[in-house]
Amino acid sequence: MKKAETKETETKRRMQRLKSLAATLGERRIGRVKLGRLKPFVGLVAVFALACVFSPSRRGEMIFLGAGNLTDILRQVSEKGILAVGMTFVILAGGIDLSVGSALAFAATLSSVMLMRGGYGTPETLLAVLAAGLLIGAVNAIVITKGRIQSFIVTLAMMSGARGLARLVSGGSGVEIGYGEGGAPPSFAALGGKLGALVPVPAIIFLAAVAAAWIVLNKTRFGRYVHAVGSNETATRLSGVNVNAVKFGVFSICGLLAALAGIIHSAQLEQGNPNDGVAYELDAIAAVVIGGTSLSGGAGTVVGTLAGTLIIGIINNILGLNNVDANVQLLLKGVIIVGAVLLQRK
Amino acid sequence: MAYLLEARNIGKRFPGVVALDGVNLGVRGGSVHAVVGENGAGKSTLMKILSGVYRADTGAILLDGKAVEFASPRAAEKAGVVIIHQELNLVPALSVAENIFLGREPSRFGFVDRRRMERDAEALLDRLGRRLDPRRAVESLKVSDQQVVEIAKALSLNARALIMDEPTTALAADDVERLFGVINTLTGAGAAVIYISHKMDELFRIADEFTTLRDGKWIGHRAASETTPGELARMMVGREVSYKREREDGGRRNVELLRVENLSSRGIDATRATRATRATRATRATRATRANGRRRLSDISFSLRAGEVLGVAGLMGAGRTELLESLFGVHGTTGESRIVMGGQPLIINDPRQAIKAGLALVPEDRKAQGLALNLDVGSNITLARLERFSRFGFLRRESEERVAREYVERLGIKTPDTRAATVNLSGGNQQKVALAKWLLTGPKALLLDEPTKGIDIKGKTEIYRLIEELAASGLGVILVSSELPELLALSDRIIVLREGRLAGALERSEATEERIIELATMGNKEGGNEEGGNEGDGNKAAHAAA
Repeated sequence: MKKAETKETETKRRMQRLKSLAATLGERRIGRVKLGRLKPFVGLVAVFALACVFSPSRRGEMIFLGAGNLTDILRQVSEKGILAVGMTFVILAGGIDLSVGSALAFAATLSSVMLMRGGYGTPETLLAVLAAGLLIGAVNAIVITKGRIQSFIVTLAMMSGARGLARLVSGGSGVEIGYGEGGAPPSFAALGGKLGALVPVPAIIFLAAVAAAWIVLNKTRFGRYVHAVGSNETATRLSGVNVNAVKFGVFSICGLLAALAGIIHSAQLEQGNPNDGVAYELDAIAAVVIGGTSLSGGAGTVVGTLAGTLIIGIINNILGLNNVDANVQLLLKGVIIVGAVLLQRK
Repeated sequence: MAYLLEARNIGKRFPGVVALDGVNLGVRGGSVHAVVGENGAGKSTLMKILSGVYRADTGAILLDGKAVEFASPRAAEKAGVVIIHQELNLVPALSVAENIFLGREPSRFGFVDRRRMERDAEALLDRLGRRLDPRRAVESLKVSDQQVVEIAKALSLNARALIMDEPTTALAADDVERLFGVINTLTGAGAAVIYISHKMDELFRIADEFTTLRDGKWIGHRAASETTPGELARMMVGREVSYKREREDGGRRNVELLRVENLSSRGIDATRATRATRATRATRATRATRANGRRRLSDISFSLRAGEVLGVAGLMGAGRTELLESLFGVHGTTGESRIVMGGQPLIINDPRQAIKAGLALVPEDRKAQGLALNLDVGSNITLARLERFSRFGFLRRESEERVAREYVERLGIKTPDTRAATVNLSGGNQQKVALAKWLLTGPKALLLDEPTKGIDIKGKTEIYRLIEELAASGLGVILVSSELPELLALSDRIIVLREGRLAGALERSEATEERIIELATMGNKEGGNEEGGNEGDGNKAAHAAA
C-alpha cells in the first residue's frame, strides 16, 4: 500500500518536473518567427518525456527507450510520414489532397500485381508505380487549375477514382507477394526490411524524403513559389509567377510520394491490397497540422511535419505499450490534434 | 417644418483621424436629402452613426425632435432608421419572402408560417409597385430587383428614414427610373430618404435638399432649387495638400512609351479576379454585385510619354482599376483594342506578358493583391524577378539578400531586416515593398492604383517623392487616385474616366478639381443614353457569369 503511494507521488513529481521543463522551453524566444517554428518540437519533447514517464519497464529499463522500440516507431510512422511530406507541399500552397490514401492503395496493388502477375523486376516496377503516382497528382492538378475547381472536391473525386482503379488492377482482392521460385525478386523485399540489425529501410526513405523536401522548399525557386502561392495566390499571379505550374508541381510531388509510400506499404506487408490505406489522408493532414503548418497556406515547415508525424507515432506507441484500448487511442488522437493547434495559436 | 431625423454637431474620432467634426444634417419626412462629398469626406461614417453601426463621440441624434441613442443597427431599425448598403445584405439562396422576414419569420405553433410570410411579402412588394414572386430565390433576381427586396425589407421594419448608399452604381438606366419610382412612392407615404451618390445628374432629379461634407466637416446645406452642380462641386473640393511638387513642369521627354488605342474590355470574368478568395454561398451575393459593379471599358485611347506622370481620375466604379488591369493582362480586351509599346504592338493576355513588355502594376489592395504578407520582406521584393536569383532552380540567397537589402535602403523601407514578416510593416512601408518588387523588374511603365490608400501623411509624402524620382529617371507612370489634390500635384496630364469611357483629358495647366469633378460626374448628354445601354450589357453579362 505504502509502496504504491510513494510510486505514485514519484511519478507525479517526475511529471511536474518535465512539465516545467517543457514550459520554460516553450517560453524561450529566439526571435518572433523562430518561436513558432520551435513549437512542434516543444510538443515533441513533451510527448517524448511523457512517454518516458509512462513507459512500462522490463528488468529496470524503460521499454520505450529501447533502441529496438525507437527504430520501430520510425518504421511504423514512415508510410504516413511520407504521405505527410507530400501533403505539406499541397497545404503550403493553399490546397488539400484527399486522394493520397487511395493513391497509396493503388500503388501498393499495382506493385504487387506487376511483381507477381506481370513478372516484372524491381526497377521496372518502381519506375512504373512512381510514374503512376505522379500521374494521379498531375491529373488532380490539371482538373483543379483548368477546371477551376477547389482541390478539396477534385481530390475527393480522385480518392474514389484511385481506389476504384486499384480494385480494377487486382480484380478486387489483395495480391500476396511471395518470394523465391516464380515470385518477386528479393530486392523488393529489401524495401520493407532492415539495414543491419536495427535500421528499418522505410524509416531511411522517410527521413530522406523529409530532407529532400526541406531542400526543395527552402533552397529552390519552386519552393519559394509554393509559399507565395499559399500566402497570396492573386499577388503571386500578378507578380508574373505561373501559379498553375506551381500547383501542378505540388500535386505531382504529393502523388509521387503517395506512390512511394504505397510501394513501402506493399513491401512491408508482403501484399498489395486495394482496400488498404483508408483514411490515411486524414492522418497525413493531422501530422501536417500538428507540425504547425497552417491549413490556409503559406506558413509552415516540413520539419514541423516530421515532428508532427513523430508525435502521433510516439503516442500510439506508448499507448500500445501500456495496452490501452485501440478505441481510446483514436479518441486521444482527436484530442491531440485540437490541442496541438490550440498550442500553436498562442 | 420639423425634421424627422436630425443629426446635430456630430463628431467622431478614430485612432489617429478625426472622421467627423461638427456635422449637421436635418432630414424632413416626405423628402429626399442627398449627402455629397468626395471619397473620404465622411459620408459613410455619418450614415453608420445614423444607423447605429457606430456611436458618435459628440453631438446628438434626434428622431421626431427627441434625442435617441442607437446601441446597434438593430436598435436603429426598431426606431425606423434603416440603411441599405451598396453591397446588398441578402442571403442569395433564400427566397424573396425569406429574405424580407429573415430573423422575424411569422410563425404558427413554432413553425414558420410560410403562407402568411409570402402573402405579407407580396403586399409589401405591391406597395413598392414591383410584382416579384416571393418564392423566388434572391440570387436569381437581377440587382435592381434585389434592391427592391432590400427596400421591402426596410418597409417591413416600418422604416421611416431610409438611408441609401450609392444605390444606382450597379443599375442600368431603366432600372434607375424604376428605383426613382419606388423612392417617390416612399416619400409620398411620408418617409424620409437619405441618398448618397456621386452622380450629379441623378441627384438633381431625385433630391430635394443637399448637404455637403468635406474632410469630415459640414460645409453647407442647399435646397435643390437654389443650387447648381457647379456650386456643389466647388463646395466638395478645396482640400489642401501640403505636398510640393519637385519636378519642373515640362520635364517629361517627348518619347512615346505606351499608346493605347480603342481599348475595350471583353466580358469580364469575375471568377478569375476573385478566384483566390474561397467562395462560400454567403459571399456569392457580394461577389455578384461586385461583378455587376465592375465596369466594362469602351473605346479608351491615350498615350504615355517617358518621364511623365499620367493621372487617371474618375469616380468609384468609373473603370480606373479595370483600365490598369486590362493593360496588365488581368482582363481580356476586344480585338479592336491596341496597345503599342515602343512602336511595337503588344498582345497582353497574362500578367507575365505584361511584365515581359516592361509594365508593372502596383494594385490598389495590398493585402489581397499586392503582397504575400506571410512571406518575409526580402521574398516579396524578389518575387517578380526570382529567376535572377536562381541557378538551375536553386536560390542564390546571398545575392538575393544583397539586392533586397539594397532596395530596402534605397526606398527607405523601415524593417528590422529583410527576413522580417511583411505583415508586421506599416502600410506605407508595405507599399514601398510592393514598389521595390516592381522596380526590381526594371519596368518602363509603372501602373499605380491608389498608391497612398490607407497610408499616413508622412508615408504619403515619401511615396510622392519616390514617384517623382522615378518619373524624373525616365519611367512613365500611370497614377490612379481618388485623391484629387494628390493627382493634381503629381500629374503632368490627367485623363478622366466616366462609366468606362474617356470623359476628357486635361493638361496640367488646365486641370483643377472643379474641372475634373465636372468631367467625372456630368459627361455630355448624348453619351448618357449610350452609357446606360452599355451598363445594361454589363449587367446581363454579370448575371450570366453568376
